[in-house]
Amino acid sequence: MINNHPNTQLLADYATGGLSMAPLISIATHLQFCDQCREAVSGLNILGGELLSECDQAELSDDLLAQTLAMLDAPEPEGTVAEAAVSAPRSNLCPDLANQLPKYLHKFLNHQELDWRSLSSTLSVAAISVGETDYELALHRIDAGGKAPVHDHKGTELTVVLKGSFSDEDGIYREGDFLMREPGDVHRPSATQDQACICLSVLSAPIKLTGIKQVLNPFMRFNPS
Amino acid sequence: MNKPSGPDWNALLVKVGSHQDKAAFGALFSHFGPLLKGFLLKGGGVEPEQAEELVQETMIKVWRKAPSYAPTQAAASTWMYTIARNTRIDWLRKHAKKNHQTDELVAEDLFDENEESSPFTALIQTRNASNIREHLNSLPQEQLQVLTLMYFQGKSGQEVADELAIPLGTVKSRVRLALQKLKLKITPDGEEQVVYAS
Repeated sequence: MINNHPNTQLLADYATGGLSMAPLISIATHLQFCDQCREAVSGLNILGGELLSECDQAELSDDLLAQTLAMLDAPEPEGTVAEAAVSAPRSNLCPDLANQLPKYLHKFLNHQELDWRSLSSTLSVAAISVGETDYELALHRIDAGGKAPVHDHKGTELTVVLKGSFSDEDGIYREGDFLMREPGDVHRPSATQDQACICLSVLSAPIKLTGIKQVLNPFMRFNPS
Repeated sequence: MNKPSGPDWNALLVKVGSHQDKAAFGALFSHFGPLLKGFLLKGGGVEPEQAEELVQETMIKVWRKAPSYAPTQAAASTWMYTIARNTRIDWLRKHAKKNHQTDELVAEDLFDENEESSPFTALIQTRNASNIREHLNSLPQEQLQVLTLMYFQGKSGQEVADELAIPLGTVKSRVRLALQKLKLKITPDGEEQVVYAS
């Protein structure tokens, strides 16, 4: 049972195409776990369809249909969705974890090994580049029983739990749970004792550690691009 | 899904998928093409010629993807909307200077239009569609304006707030109120964790 969901605005931004790629990926990942939010997005898509149907029509060039018909029989471009699904990511992700990532990430992970960097004795991070500079997308892993450093946020942090669970001052988060942390929130996540916790996270700006020099901030500057 | 009148677009789309029926495609094109162009122009940011390019690209995808279209899962208009949205996302990314990974990225990988849905879900979606049709025209102007900016221009809540020079919280509450009026059920607990940015 998933207890933590993206808020209405994030789901609406997803459905209307208003999100940048990194937050888009975090929502798509949550949706793979969550029937409820998928249903909500279907509803938002229906609204899109209705707005489209009610839209003022704009006249098309006379020959556009003929041109388009002539293009229909052209062979489909290579490298479309289907093949991404068949080839398993060759990165060092366990297969069941790989299945929980959106298709695009599979595609991406086929192109490069995940570079897990140790940030502390129990915390590692693997940056994922989606060609955006205003967001940092990464996988974070906290070993069983391990704790992440106390940190607060300069920007917004979106997190989806992919495997295992972690807890902080506010609660416990399990597979599929979606969390949004806003500037000013301070927390210290720690994994449960029985297994490592792996999360997908998106930062809109580097976060800063509380009470430690910022230079030491392990979350900063993992230079995704 | 019951249509009030006019051709059955869902059935035409099925014909395109099952028989590569070009006449059915032509009928869909003549109906949805001008709507799509109007939709894109209303969004702004594209010239009329570019809008036609996007209409063409969208309709070619419709042709190719039609075999996977299932009328029990989505009305033709909903399906068209999702394909147009994804086409626009890809197009905008391709034309954004800062993007260096155009080859790898396809928006449709991040949107599962063809998710299996149960008969129960299909029922909910049919009800959603008729609720939306019934209440869309009676939305207060300020709520409609926010939805219009989001859907037609692909603007996020934050971008809408910036454009209208109103707080993000106001945008969020207009969206929530509008969706309530349209009787669209969003996550029950999602709202509790909303923390507004300072």
